[in-house]
Amino acid sequence: MNVGCSIKKVIDIERPGQGIRDLKNAGFQSAFFDLSVAFAKNSNGQLDRDRTEKYLNDNIPTLFSKINECGIAVDVMKAPYIEQRLRKKVTPDYLKELALKSVEIGVRSHCKFLVILPFDTDSSNSLYDYNKNVMLDAVEHLVGTNTMILVENRYKNINGHFVRGFCSDETEAVGFIDELNRIADDQYGKRIENGEYLPYFGFCMNVGTCNLCAQNMYDFAVTLGKRIKAVVLRDCNGSQDTAMLPFTSVNAMASQTDWLNLIRGLRAIHFDGELLMDFADTASAFSPILKPQVMSLAKATADYFKWQIEIERLLDKYSSRVLFGAGNMCRNYMKNYGEKYPPLFTCDNNKNVWGQTFEGLEIKNPESLKELPDDTAIFICNIYYREIEEQLRSMGLNNPVEYFNDEYMPSFHFKRIDAVTRKLDKEEN
Amino acid sequence: MLGIGVQTQNVVTDIDPAAGFSILKGAGFDNADFSLNSYLLNTDLYQDALNKFFDKSITELEDYFLPHKAGAKENGITINQMHMPYPIFIPTGKKEVNDYLVNQVIPKSLQLCSFFECPHIVVHGLKLSQFLGSEDLEWEQTEKMLDHMAPMAKEMGIVLCIENLYTGVGGHLIEGPCCNARKAVERIDRFNEKYHAEVLGFCFDTGHANLVGIDFETFIAQLGGRLKVLHIHDNDGIADLHQIPFTFAKLRENKASTDWDGFIRGLSKIGFDKVLSFETAPVLNAFPLEMKEDVLSFIAKIGRYFVAQV
Repeated sequence: MNVGCSIKKVIDIERPGQGIRDLKNAGFQSAFFDLSVAFAKNSNGQLDRDRTEKYLNDNIPTLFSKINECGIAVDVMKAPYIEQRLRKKVTPDYLKELALKSVEIGVRSHCKFLVILPFDTDSSNSLYDYNKNVMLDAVEHLVGTNTMILVENRYKNINGHFVRGFCSDETEAVGFIDELNRIADDQYGKRIENGEYLPYFGFCMNVGTCNLCAQNMYDFAVTLGKRIKAVVLRDCNGSQDTAMLPFTSVNAMASQTDWLNLIRGLRAIHFDGELLMDFADTASAFSPILKPQVMSLAKATADYFKWQIEIERLLDKYSSRVLFGAGNMCRNYMKNYGEKYPPLFTCDNNKNVWGQTFEGLEIKNPESLKELPDDTAIFICNIYYREIEEQLRSMGLNNPVEYFNDEYMPSFHFKRIDAVTRKLDKEEN
Repeated sequence: MLGIGVQTQNVVTDIDPAAGFSILKGAGFDNADFSLNSYLLNTDLYQDALNKFFDKSITELEDYFLPHKAGAKENGITINQMHMPYPIFIPTGKKEVNDYLVNQVIPKSLQLCSFFECPHIVVHGLKLSQFLGSEDLEWEQTEKMLDHMAPMAKEMGIVLCIENLYTGVGGHLIEGPCCNARKAVERIDRFNEKYHAEVLGFCFDTGHANLVGIDFETFIAQLGGRLKVLHIHDNDGIADLHQIPFTFAKLRENKASTDWDGFIRGLSKIGFDKVLSFETAPVLNAFPLEMKEDVLSFIAKIGRYFVAQV
């Protein structure tokens, strides 16, 4: 999985130096090049087409080179899309022209993926055909390249309320992508790269859009499956179309985005594509003085998602393992992974439970970890990770120490055990 | 011919049910959605607090509701739909509560539905996907519950109607059970085939659909004739407010932010010919008591507008 960061509100198209430095210093090695940064507005707040043309023709290639020179790859580009409030006097033909121009830029820049947000029209009957024709018009640019167009899910705006729009229905999106590929393959021939079929079209799952449309992201991801080549991670409150850093749109001490079903879904399809951070609103809201810290947090957050999605790979990395902790997290480990990745035993600092059996595991004194072979990994199944890790290191253990986390498990028990009494809150049904 | 209906809750009382039905008739309704769920509140159930209402035998319950049935009849109101108490299973609840729901509340609700000669009962699907891992696994459990009800429903000629529901994360209401029309179509058809009868149908809830960004027209068109009953109400897209249609706008242009045009197009497309039933009982708490009849008349008038458009 490749982690990238959108350049929107991170890099200034006219003064890109500082933004590129912030991106690099935060540890991002890949930039998600959103060509909407080329949109310029006039004094009336409307689209300034002349300046936009200049940006697209002059500034964008320069910016692209500067990013590359810093060792940051640009694997994914996004065709410009025009916000509703800038739509006045912008014709569908101009939007189409921009999309096709973006494909040319993407191909010329050797990007792996070019994301296109489908177009919006009032008639749902013509919507499918209109978008199909625009996408197919772009295919000729893809022949002989390895660039793939990714169609993104979009919403429909009902007087300020967002509902499911074109390709928001996962089954419709599957049909659309598959039909595009079928026609493109017939017309231009199947593309083969390194002996493998390389379709012309794939899908980009925009998490913020799914959240605005309150969708079941597990079903969404699982239905689209391997067609999903990129995931745009952005948070919002579910009613306003904002791009916030994940975990920052909160209410009543909980996130307002269904990260559980997103992570479950991406795990289920073994997602291994582009994981792209888009937090333009968060980046704008913070003072430029704090931007480097925001960027570092964004990178840490992206890495965390990658780690969560790939958690099973981590379990699979070791041939033997033990757990540290004999509570609910241990219980969740055993429910979801106990059979496939069985631990030798678990241990706990609570001496009252030593010698007892829990979820089929013997609970041992942590001192017994000293008897483990060096290559047995210790998975900490307790939220006091850093404290326990320090304890293990102070014991002089050389074993790999890993964190396990049960926030996004494939399934959960109906009831949890009480931390003090170690009994189920109510009897199990 | 389309009918117009509304919930009995907040209008029809146990003390003088006929008076409540008379108000409904006077306001312009010819159908009613009998709010059986108001006799066992979900807020109580989530706290494992069972009242004793369904402890009564079916004979006692029928006696209890005899004045309601008579009141509806004498005022020319048809009970076209009923709402079963919900939830019908609480994963984190006590076994005793869940057993009571399955063994007492469900069968007695169906018997009462039959007693009222009501052809549809709305049943909430189970909310278990968080625990089980997917909506498909959740549906398997809902289907087991429906299997428990189906033979009785079939015998009584009642259609069990599953409803599109929401669930919440951090106060953000998101897609819950039965929000996928394609799946609903496949499941309803398969279920009815299994019972060789039309025992399962759908209740489309406009407010819940609006909360979770469902495209009304597409959803209704996909359901087609499986759509049996409606819960018509409005909200701001954020909270389940159960208000009067056309109430909410989000922009200064003040156009409705709920897609009522899509709703009308969807119903027209499928030739819906049943009851336009409003689930707007909370509105009656919002307005002064003195305005109850005016508010109900206004709701019925919106119903007539919908009828004309559909």
